[in-house]
Amino acid sequence: MNHSPATGVPDAPGSRRVRWIALGATVLALALIGGILLYLSPLLALLEPHDPTLGRIAGIPAATPPPLDSKQRINVLLLGSDNDQKFKQDALLSQTMIVVSIDPAKRQVTMLSLPRDLWVEIPGHPSAKIDLAYAEGGAPLARATVEKAFKIPIHYYAWVGLNGLVRVIDRVGGVDLDVLHPVLDDNYPNDFSDTGYGTERVYLAAGPQHLDGRHALQYVRSRHGDLLSDFGRSVRQQQLLLAIQQRAAGLDLVSALPTFARDLNGHVKSDLDLVRLTQLALFMRGLHAPDVHQAYISPYVRDAVSADGQQILMADWPAVHAYVSQLLGGDLLP
Amino acid sequence: MKRRHAAVALSAVLALAGCTSSSPVARDPGRVVLPVKQLPVPGRLYATKSRALYRFSGTQLTLLRFASRVKDPAVTPAGDRIAVAQLQDQSSTIVVSDPNGQTRQTLTPSSAAEGSLWAFAPAFAGDGHQLVYLTDRGKQPSNPQNLRPNDLGVWTYDLDTGQSRRLVQPYAYTGGDSDPRYRPGVNDQLVYTTYLYGGAPPEAVARLTWMSLRTGATIYLSPDTGRNFQPAISPDGRFVAFIRAGAGSDDLYAMPLAPTYTRELRPYPSESAVLIQSGIVSQPVWSPDGSAIAFLKLVNGSFDLFIVAVSTAGTIQASGPAQAVTHGSFLDADSRLAWSS
Repeated sequence: MNHSPATGVPDAPGSRRVRWIALGATVLALALIGGILLYLSPLLALLEPHDPTLGRIAGIPAATPPPLDSKQRINVLLLGSDNDQKFKQDALLSQTMIVVSIDPAKRQVTMLSLPRDLWVEIPGHPSAKIDLAYAEGGAPLARATVEKAFKIPIHYYAWVGLNGLVRVIDRVGGVDLDVLHPVLDDNYPNDFSDTGYGTERVYLAAGPQHLDGRHALQYVRSRHGDLLSDFGRSVRQQQLLLAIQQRAAGLDLVSALPTFARDLNGHVKSDLDLVRLTQLALFMRGLHAPDVHQAYISPYVRDAVSADGQQILMADWPAVHAYVSQLLGGDLLP
Repeated sequence: MKRRHAAVALSAVLALAGCTSSSPVARDPGRVVLPVKQLPVPGRLYATKSRALYRFSGTQLTLLRFASRVKDPAVTPAGDRIAVAQLQDQSSTIVVSDPNGQTRQTLTPSSAAEGSLWAFAPAFAGDGHQLVYLTDRGKQPSNPQNLRPNDLGVWTYDLDTGQSRRLVQPYAYTGGDSDPRYRPGVNDQLVYTTYLYGGAPPEAVARLTWMSLRTGATIYLSPDTGRNFQPAISPDGRFVAFIRAGAGSDDLYAMPLAPTYTRELRPYPSESAVLIQSGIVSQPVWSPDGSAIAFLKLVNGSFDLFIVAVSTAGTIQASGPAQAVTHGSFLDADSRLAWSS
C-alpha cells in the first residue's frame, strides 16, 4: 500500500491516478521527443549552422536574416556545381547561381539567374567570372560576391551537386516539364561514368513530358542545340526549379523528409536552420505558378573577352542595379 | 541543444500545418490502368508507356511486343501497317510492322559515316507508300572540342524503293524540326513544327509550318513569337489541331487549313479555337472519322489518355467534355499517339 511520505496516510486513489498519468505523460513526451530527434537526424546532418561571421569577407558584413515573424523579404542563394570525379571536390565552380527572393508580405517568389560567365569583383581576389567565387572561398565568398555586385543581402545559401539534383528529382517522383525545344547533344558529358570524362548522346523531344532525375539534368545542362547558350540554360534551370516546387507541393512532407534527407547527405549543403527551412517549405507549398516570377539580367550584359582571353559577360551595373531594385523592391545595399 | 529546440519547434510547425493532409504525389503503377467505367475506343488507338506499345480498341487493351523500346507509333489510314521509332542505347531506327507488331522491317540505319543516328516520329502518307520522319542523318561529325550542329531534319522514305531524302534543313543549334505529318487527301503537302529563336530577349519559338512537296515552299501558319507545336491534321485535311503554350499551360487548339498557301498570311488566322484549356495537354491525334481528338493530359502528376468529341460543321469546337481512357497510367507524353479505323 502507498503512503503519503509527509503524513503516512495512504494516498487517496485519485492522487495515485494523477501521479500515474503524470509519469505516463512524461514517458510519452520523452518517447515523442526521442522519436522526433531520430526522425530529424538525417535532416540535421544536411544543415550547417548559420554563422554570420562566415560572410564577413573583405569587410562585407553578412546579412542578418529577418526575424521569423517578420514580413521582410528573404534572399536565398542557390548554387549548383558539377561535382563529378574530374573536379577537385574542394574547389568546385558554381555553374548555377540563382537568387531566390521570397516576399512573405506579397506571397511571391522571384528567381533571378546570375550568368556563370559574369565578370565581377570577387572580394579579396582579382576580378573574375562569378562562378569562381564558390571555388575560391565556398559559400561565404559566393554570397559576399553576389552581395557586393548586386547590392542585395543574401540571408542564406543552399548548394547542390549533380547527384544531389538527380536524387531530389527522383525522390519527388520525377518532374513534369514542357521542354521548350528539341534537345540534341552528341557530346553530352556522361556525369555518371567512372572517370567523369565520357560523353553520351542525348535526345529529348520538345513538348510536355515527365522526366526522371537523369533526363531532367540533361535538359538543364546540355549546351549544344541552344543558341541562347548560358541564358537558355538559366531559363531551363528556373523551369526545373518550378517543376520541382510543384511536384514537392504534393508530397507527404512528414513521411518523405527523413528518407529525402538521408538520400541527399553529402550532395546538398545549406545554412538554413530547421525552423526557417520548415517555414520556407510551408510557404512554397502554398504557392501557385503565377506567384513565382522568373528574372534574368541578360538585357543588361554583353559578350566580351577578358584581358587573359576568357569569353565573359560584362554587365552594365547601373542598369543591373536599377533592374534589381525595381524587381525586388526597396533600397539596395550601399 | 539549439538543434534540439529547433527540432521540437519543427515538429510543432509540421503538426500545426497539417502537412500530412495534402494530396500525395501519384506514383507510376507500372502498368496501364483503365478507369472503373471504361470508355470504348472506336478503331485502334496506339500509345506508349515506359517505351512499350499499347493498343486500345473498344474496351480491349493489348501490349504489342517489340524487341526493344519504342516510341512515336504511326499507322496507315487503313490500319494494315504500323511504324515506330525503335530505341537502342545511343541511337534509334524506324521500324515498320503489321498491326500486331510482327513481321518487322527496319527502314533506317542506326549509324553511318557521320556516327550514330537518331530517327523518330514516322508518319505515313495517305497511300501508305511514303513515310516522313525525323533524323540527324547528314550531320557533320562532332566532338567536345568542335561541336557541330546535329539537329533533326525532316526526311522522307519511299517504302517501294527504299530511298530516303531530306526535305527540310533545320535551323542550326535549335534541336531541329519536329512533328512532321502528311496532309490527308493531298499527299504533296506536309505540316510540321519549326523550332527557332526570336524576340528580345530571345526565347525559344515553335512555329507551325506548311510545306509544298511539289515546290519545296514553306509557309509559317503561326506567329513568330510563342510556341505552337505538335500539329495533327483532320482526316479530311480541313483542320489542324495543335498545342499552344500559354502562361503555365499547354492548351489544345484547332484551326482551319486553306487548300494551299502561296504566301504567309499576315495577320495569322484568328479563327483558331481552343478545345481544351487550363491544363498541360500534348500529342493530339484525330479519330479516323474526324469526329474526335485523342490527346494526353497531365492529371495529378500522370499523363493520361483522353478523347474529346469535336464538331467541324462551320467553326470547329468541342462538342462535349473530354473523357478519360486511362487513369493514373503515366503514359509517355514525349511519344506520339496514332489512331486508325
